[in-house]
Amino acid sequence: MPAVDTVSSGALRHLRVIDLTRVWAGPLGTRTLADFGAEVIKVSDPRIPLSRVGKINDKLNRNKLNIALRLDKPEGRDVFLDLVSVGDVVIENFRPRVMRNLDITYEKLLEVNPNLLMCSMPGFGLAGPYSEYPAFGSTAEAMSGINSMIGYVPDRPLQTGLSYADPISGLNLVNVILAFARRRSITGKGNFIDLALADSPLGTLGEFFVANSATGYKQDPNGNRHSQYTPHGAFRCFGDDQWIAISITNHFQWEQLKDKVNDSRLESPEYEDISGRKANEETINRILEEWTSSRDAAELMEELQHQGIPAAKVSNNLDVLNDPHLNKREYFSFLKSSVKDIEKYDGQAIPGNQKERSKWFPMRNLGEDSSSIVMEYLGYSKYKYLSLLKQGVIS
Amino acid sequence: MPSEYFENDLPLDGIKIVETAQGVSGPYAAKLLGSLGAEIIKVELPEGDWSRKAPPFLSETNHTESSALYLYNNTGKKSVVIDWRNSEGLHDLKNLIKSADVFIEDWDRSARTKWNLNSEIFLEDNPQLIELCITPFGLYGPYSNYKSSPLIQLALGGILNLVGNPEQEPLMLPGNQPDYLTGINGSNSIQIALWDRDFFGESGKFLELTMMETLANLHQAPLDMGGVIRQRSGHRQSPLSSNGFPPGVCTVSAKDGYMTFGGGSPVIWEQLCLMLGRLDLLEDDRFDNVFENPESGLIVDQIMESWMAEKTREEVFEEASSIWMLPVSPVKKINEILEDKQYASRHAFQKITHPVAGEATYPSPTFTANGEKLEVSRSPMLGEHTKEYIW
Repeated sequence: MPAVDTVSSGALRHLRVIDLTRVWAGPLGTRTLADFGAEVIKVSDPRIPLSRVGKINDKLNRNKLNIALRLDKPEGRDVFLDLVSVGDVVIENFRPRVMRNLDITYEKLLEVNPNLLMCSMPGFGLAGPYSEYPAFGSTAEAMSGINSMIGYVPDRPLQTGLSYADPISGLNLVNVILAFARRRSITGKGNFIDLALADSPLGTLGEFFVANSATGYKQDPNGNRHSQYTPHGAFRCFGDDQWIAISITNHFQWEQLKDKVNDSRLESPEYEDISGRKANEETINRILEEWTSSRDAAELMEELQHQGIPAAKVSNNLDVLNDPHLNKREYFSFLKSSVKDIEKYDGQAIPGNQKERSKWFPMRNLGEDSSSIVMEYLGYSKYKYLSLLKQGVIS
Repeated sequence: MPSEYFENDLPLDGIKIVETAQGVSGPYAAKLLGSLGAEIIKVELPEGDWSRKAPPFLSETNHTESSALYLYNNTGKKSVVIDWRNSEGLHDLKNLIKSADVFIEDWDRSARTKWNLNSEIFLEDNPQLIELCITPFGLYGPYSNYKSSPLIQLALGGILNLVGNPEQEPLMLPGNQPDYLTGINGSNSIQIALWDRDFFGESGKFLELTMMETLANLHQAPLDMGGVIRQRSGHRQSPLSSNGFPPGVCTVSAKDGYMTFGGGSPVIWEQLCLMLGRLDLLEDDRFDNVFENPESGLIVDQIMESWMAEKTREEVFEEASSIWMLPVSPVKKINEILEDKQYASRHAFQKITHPVAGEATYPSPTFTANGEKLEVSRSPMLGEHTKEYIW
């Protein structure tokens, strides 16, 4: 058995996932399955080292086993087919032609595992006019419409900058795998899922499509402004790139904010109702920012929230890591790598029967579990393993 | 396992879900589960889910039955009006939940105190129940009484800081993104708990899901990033380390709108230079790292924009994708997506008619299973199904 425990705890124990995904969306989704105890076997190419730059792979591949396997060699493909025959789920996010060229399409895999559940995560979908076009999370988000609503001015859309189609697709992957793995457990029937990167953001923009199709409603980039309420945005605070977000959506909150700011210019009768405040948005924002710009964002958040005003420090990545609320709630996870000290990573937002925390393990090295997987799970002899190793088919 | 499971074909056939959650996160979780076959009974207060009052509306006159936000997030559900704030209503609600598999609610600390709702009152009558409580910050911790909104969530989750221009105000993502993301995690939480209950004989449980933890989980790099603060980069992709990206990973203009170019690898940068006919850029080490040489980013933006000045987005998309194998996409507007041939070929949208709001186009569930998109039916009118469930 592998040197780490992948079978004894968590709600998804005994679900075996063969993971061919790379980069972000796929690994994020399969990490979630692994955090809940699924046995995720990550299949890597022995020629491509797992990059440790920025520890992005480390973050996204905890709790997964690793086998390094040449899928492009006939002997390596045979090992893969044997692996699929003892697996429950296969997930991949290559471009569509890659799986065809490797001759490991769903139809082929069904020959070795007739009730296999498989999910492909192409950029635009496995069929259709754009199906062979390459895509990343950053371009899929542009296709899905979200960029057309981000920016400071109507005619200059911006990107999210964070490849937003990826994280949504990662969450959606978990949703669809859980559903069809359940169906498979109950009915014995597999399924083939096509989960396109460019489709996922459509689901989180539903109201815009419904409204536009019926009435022509559209929303152009317009900063952080709200269609009805003012003030609504991020305001400069004391320090370098420090901001506070304030989001006033009812009269009580406005009254409370006015009391705190205590500036006679905000007492104008014009500002009594929502439409008057909306009409004078620029002026109100300017007065407010004069007030916030000499204050500490974290202290101001506490002060304003204490008065029932929706306000938040604009946290950067280090602020999130040190956030008092997340730390108090023991949200983070601590992984002990074999060579270094304990490292602090994000935890798991989904509640429930997770794999026991003491059994969480950091990313495995390239091929670290190859020998135990082929000998223990696939029943290969030591001789066969060594000859595959010698041929460079596995490593 | 009841035998009906084997006769039906959707994964969650036979699962009964009651929801009192309002707005987006809870209702979207239930909508997802409903599209997978679960029966969803939406319990609304007499005044209705607050999202019924959220603009834009599809009808000029009826503002209870035509909110786009409500219509979208409540497809396929039944609506039952119960005023659970009084004891008779609470009794009805408890009765309804007695026979349910799942209960989704969004009561935060102040609501629980105000209405005297503790985390045991539904489970004690139904020990197999999975109760999911979705709130912005959770039921304990320093922010558990804080007020929230999508803007507030994006700010504390570390997402707001990554969107927009470096020297300017950080920008929010449009609509209700934190709520939707949390909704997907809500569906995931419930499905995991159902798996545990139905396949391992675990009992029901009370689960607490928060928006803030959902967002904190969605950063690509570890949060410490070796002590580096990740910067927002406007029309460029935000760097994941101090190494940054090559130029050309950006959103720039073509003849009829904007294009987003993806990338980050030396191979893609080479392909881009080939397409632009500017192999000389590869020889010039100013272009190795746009974050160390911001000037180089601007120069490449201009070269790209002049190359595209007389080309439409569609022309650039086809050429760059099919000839040069570049990851690229037009920045599409909502109305253009409804006309897009790729989305049409996938049946990414479906038309649904509602008795008051009329016909509109809704995104279908975002995947195909054995080549099929799952269908959903219209959202309910306030209290449309009360009589079926309450006598």
